[in-house]
Amino acid sequence: MAKTNLDPVTFEVLKNAYGNLVDQMSEQVLRTCYSFVIYCRDFSSALCDANGDTIMQGSQDIAVHVGTLHLTAKAILRAFGDDIHEGDIFIFNDPYEGGTHFCDVRIVKPVFFEGEIVAFTLSNGHWADVGGKVPGSFDITAKDHYGEGTRITPLRIWDRGRYLDDVANCLVANMRGSEDRLGDLRAQAEACNVGEREFLRLIAKYGKDTVLLAARECQNYVERIARSRIAEIPDGQWETVDFIDQDPDLGEGLIPIKVKMTIKGDQVHYDLTGSHPIVGCFLNSAYPATLSALVAGSKAFFPDIPLNAGFFRVFDVTVPEGCVANAPWPTAVTGFCSGVYEKAQAAVIELWSELMPERALGCAFNLEYLLIGGWDRRPGFGNFFMWYDWMAGGHGGRSTKDGSNCTAAVFGLGLSIQPCEGQERLTPVITDEHSILTDSAGPGKFRGGCGLTKGGTVMSCEGSVMSYCCDRARSIAFGIWGGLPSIPQGLWKNKGRDDEAFLGAIFSGVPVNAGDTFTRPSAGGGGLGDPLERDPLMVLEDVIDGYVSIERAKKDYGVVVVENDPILLDYEIDMAATEKERAHIRQNRVAWMKEDPGKVLQMLVDGEIDEMDVVRRYGVILDWGIKQVLPKSTAQFRQMLEKRTVSHWS
Amino acid sequence: MGKYRVAVDTGGTFTDVFIFEEEFGEVIVQKVPSTPHNPSEAIVAGMEKAGISMQDVQLFSHGTTVGTNALITRNLPLTGMINTKGFRDVIEIRRSTKPDLWDHYKDVAPPHVPRRHRLEVTERIDYGGNVVKPLDETEARQVAEIFKKRGMKAVAVCFMNSYMNGEHEQRVKQIVQEVMPEAYVCTSNELLPDIFEHERFSTCVINAVLGPVVSDYLKDLVSKLKGLGYKGDILVLHSGGGVMKAETVTSYASRIASSGIAAGAIAMNQTAQLCGYPNAMGLDMGGTSADISLTYGGELRMANEWQVEFGYPIMYPSIEVITIGAGGGSIAWVDPGGSLRNGPQSAGAEPGPACYQAGGMEPTNTDANLVLGRLNTNLLEGGMQISKEAAEAAVDKIAKHYGMSLVDAAYSILKVANANMCDALRLISVQRGYDPRDFALVGFGGAGPLHAAYLARELEIPTVIIPRYPGVHAALGCLLVDVRHDLQKTYLATSASAQIEEIEDIFEQLEAEARALLKQEGMTGERVELKRVMDIRYIGQWRQLAVNVPRPITTLDKALEVFHAEHERQFSWSNPDQVVEIYGLRVTAIGKVPMPSFNKADNGDQAVMPEPRQVRPVFFEKAGGFVDTPVYRRRDLPPGAKLRGPAIVEQLDTTTVIPVGVKARIDDYLNIIMDISR
Repeated sequence: MAKTNLDPVTFEVLKNAYGNLVDQMSEQVLRTCYSFVIYCRDFSSALCDANGDTIMQGSQDIAVHVGTLHLTAKAILRAFGDDIHEGDIFIFNDPYEGGTHFCDVRIVKPVFFEGEIVAFTLSNGHWADVGGKVPGSFDITAKDHYGEGTRITPLRIWDRGRYLDDVANCLVANMRGSEDRLGDLRAQAEACNVGEREFLRLIAKYGKDTVLLAARECQNYVERIARSRIAEIPDGQWETVDFIDQDPDLGEGLIPIKVKMTIKGDQVHYDLTGSHPIVGCFLNSAYPATLSALVAGSKAFFPDIPLNAGFFRVFDVTVPEGCVANAPWPTAVTGFCSGVYEKAQAAVIELWSELMPERALGCAFNLEYLLIGGWDRRPGFGNFFMWYDWMAGGHGGRSTKDGSNCTAAVFGLGLSIQPCEGQERLTPVITDEHSILTDSAGPGKFRGGCGLTKGGTVMSCEGSVMSYCCDRARSIAFGIWGGLPSIPQGLWKNKGRDDEAFLGAIFSGVPVNAGDTFTRPSAGGGGLGDPLERDPLMVLEDVIDGYVSIERAKKDYGVVVVENDPILLDYEIDMAATEKERAHIRQNRVAWMKEDPGKVLQMLVDGEIDEMDVVRRYGVILDWGIKQVLPKSTAQFRQMLEKRTVSHWS
Repeated sequence: MGKYRVAVDTGGTFTDVFIFEEEFGEVIVQKVPSTPHNPSEAIVAGMEKAGISMQDVQLFSHGTTVGTNALITRNLPLTGMINTKGFRDVIEIRRSTKPDLWDHYKDVAPPHVPRRHRLEVTERIDYGGNVVKPLDETEARQVAEIFKKRGMKAVAVCFMNSYMNGEHEQRVKQIVQEVMPEAYVCTSNELLPDIFEHERFSTCVINAVLGPVVSDYLKDLVSKLKGLGYKGDILVLHSGGGVMKAETVTSYASRIASSGIAAGAIAMNQTAQLCGYPNAMGLDMGGTSADISLTYGGELRMANEWQVEFGYPIMYPSIEVITIGAGGGSIAWVDPGGSLRNGPQSAGAEPGPACYQAGGMEPTNTDANLVLGRLNTNLLEGGMQISKEAAEAAVDKIAKHYGMSLVDAAYSILKVANANMCDALRLISVQRGYDPRDFALVGFGGAGPLHAAYLARELEIPTVIIPRYPGVHAALGCLLVDVRHDLQKTYLATSASAQIEEIEDIFEQLEAEARALLKQEGMTGERVELKRVMDIRYIGQWRQLAVNVPRPITTLDKALEVFHAEHERQFSWSNPDQVVEIYGLRVTAIGKVPMPSFNKADNGDQAVMPEPRQVRPVFFEKAGGFVDTPVYRRRDLPPGAKLRGPAIVEQLDTTTVIPVGVKARIDDYLNIIMDISR
């Protein structure tokens, strides 16, 4: 029955069958999971070969897990070696050994055929809580992992088919919502069983040799396509830098993450040498997550190539240990997704945008998580609640069209936001506004996508605190090819009241009481190309839809729009005034970017300009709460603007 | 009194007419080109071609793609939306996801109502239905005035938490109707009192944009048919697998946006039940795509939502249909990694497969079937000639690339196409916990009967059914359905806290509403059938299972028992000791339409086998190559006829392949039944 030569039909059939297998695993997880984070699609499924290398990943998997699944399977192999048996299932979440952060819990099952391991099935899901100091396990103040949550090194949870409930109970006893965690564990283990069953069905049908050969050929196939594409690109070296806002231990100053890309023949090398050392908060990342960022960023330029080990073979990566992107044990790394991950990915996307302009992208808004946890004191309630929220935002401008409005973070385009009506039912937090933020998009010939604003009021509760995991309050989403940045991120508490406070882009454990309000934007995307070259008619349409205000149409695009009758949507462009305004901006804008920051601040205080002018016109970074110039950050930001924006202006 | 029942299925390319004569059980079928600019023209043309006067028609039922096409082409009336202050962008934000995770240049379609036409009014209701901020009626009137000035044809009113309290929406609807009496106005609460703002708003907006389109179309159709002397009702098929009267459709326009797709699945189910197969899958394969559906125990598998474009769900129960890009015109190609692929690109009707010689140069499934001798060069009973040489030249591209023979290449193309369809069949069966070995496969559409036996063999499906008129089979689906309404209401409680009286009250309210709807359609008394469903899940889980419950409901025990058992079947896990959560209550109301009964032949066992019309060489892998194969004409085959593969059966617009060693018989309803079990 078993044939060893692989005809094109059998190969195509098995390749699709592997895709079908992992998608079946994903469906199983979706249908039975307990964590809403998983239900909103922060999870992934994989089929790995006996060495742990991926044969296939789910078609809807979240980007951030991409480069780490094979490392997880390899970590299990390394830890258990010969001591792996039929019916075993393992659990793991160790970021230093092949995970991302503790919340991403992986279940791994070896698939045996006639006594030997032929594959692994793997299910990774973001559990809503894995213990630690704060609800949701996002403790911004953590310096090492001990306070962050439960670290699960390679661990057996089913032994030859016997469920080790003592082990499982010990794990979940350290987490909030223990029962739900067991539900997630079961859902993921069952997904692995589904994958195993399907793989064995294929072996029964096609024979072991054919199935394993086709699996290897799947990896070679992906490698072959990827290499043929890379080979078409001339050899060369390119470098860029993106920044995390700050290291709280060092005071103000952006934290550089440098990426140098070398293409030689059909191989790509990324070198992060020169990046900043680890920072004193949890935005660091361990090596696996950085690898994931680099591969996922590259993947955006090869959307049609399936993801498996064959794709990884094309990339070599150098990340010096001890730098912010290769944090050693026991450095805190839970916030990697808002920190290093987004920056390394943005840098890679910028580099590839130069090489493949037809897929170019400006920078997107930064992934953010806002958590409010405490005791629900609404009538009829009395439980511990967690309001755990993340937003959609704007993506970067593209070479042929604007960036996409209000879309999931680049971190994972499949990660869906939650309905406010669901949140309001489950928690004492009522949303006051969830809408597109006018002028939030970075201006450009093709502007970024629009970001949003979402805020609310805390209702009857007790002992409640708020934590925020974000970034880019200072290292604002950038434009490329002459495009401008969007807007700073960061959260305001009680805005417009006497006790208003700008809490910034990362904080944790801030007490909140009934009646407190909060609001924060998700930024728009950075613009692409010189905004003065934008078709005035496109600006006009944006004004009619309220994506851009009349005021900023003039300031950012030099387009003067006259409002005749808003009720009938009657607006028109004053062409003469537009020409004059554009000439005025063109003449002065380089000088504006060099204006003394102190003077810029004074103009802001005097009400001559607003905060958008501070960023887009003058390239100045302030502490947005106390209105103070941040000189070092401003110098770095201006240097960045010079390269990405100013030097492209004609 | 008319003696004909007429079903018309308007598709993108063809309008199919299926006419049933009640006295003698005679069937007439017709196929005419669709007229997308005004679909009712094709209907009239089809009736004329069939030679039947509308005066003799007793009942006219209809499946239409008018709604689907309007949504796809975005040829929609000017529509405005009124939202709670702070929430006008809900339908633009959606759930923020994209279907293609890696392609940053592929965008989700823009919302059906642009931002400029989404206006806000001050009001707010909380999760419990309590008014947090009263409605500002002055603002509402201002908004209505603005819409009036802008010449809006339709308005959707969508407020936060209106699923708990629809008063504000209703009041605004009244105000809008006062200000602009001609406009079509709907509210999210009256259409779908269900939690989750985007899904409810999306349904309401789609309903609003389709309202004027659908009512204009039906008005025109009604007047045309009346003009021809038709006196009965026009029944329109909706996504839930039932019909509504033309007059009711106007209020629930979004329900008929998939009217056309549902028809094939219903026809499949009817045929399978008629042949005695409670479990069946349907393969409706046409020129560009294949629609796959499933029935279990006689009940079509339903989904709770569906969408025409990604990101804009319509939250009504609908027959689950998986559509994949595999049709007769699907193109075979070699990707950059050297893998042989099939579809989803299609040569469509224009230019069509290479063998049509109308400009198509790429090899398609039709070309491969022709190369292998499975298709005749003479189609539509002489109405169309296709070129074997042109097909060979196209397939040769694949052969050259792999250094294989022409025949091997053609066979490989079909194997890949079949594998893709098998994956889709697996998706709807294995992935949902059904074993294909317990099913029959009904193959229809222009291309289904060419492939069905091979798919069945691959999935170990023991029986294949090819209906009498595969090319127009879907139209039969419009003929054979009852009036149906689906109503639902969010209800959240645990199995411990649920108040059985309260549940009974809500069910009764929903049923009263359903009865009122049916009464408007002339359905009362014994013709009315009501079914209750409860959505249940384990506490903490995010998806629910639908469980049938009795009327009246006095205890939860039976429902819970069914829930645990079904959870076990679908997900290999259950825990009867765990507290579960009730999530929603639903009522399905059926108004029985008298069904026609098809004639059963009575000369069962003494069938005389006709002579084949032709013997031609056809390729079969099991035979080791080309073998002389008898070719029968479908209408020559009497009930009771027995065939043994290899054999080919040809009819007007379809060719059926009976592979080597497969036994087939013609049943009493003239279906071909193939026995694939080994």
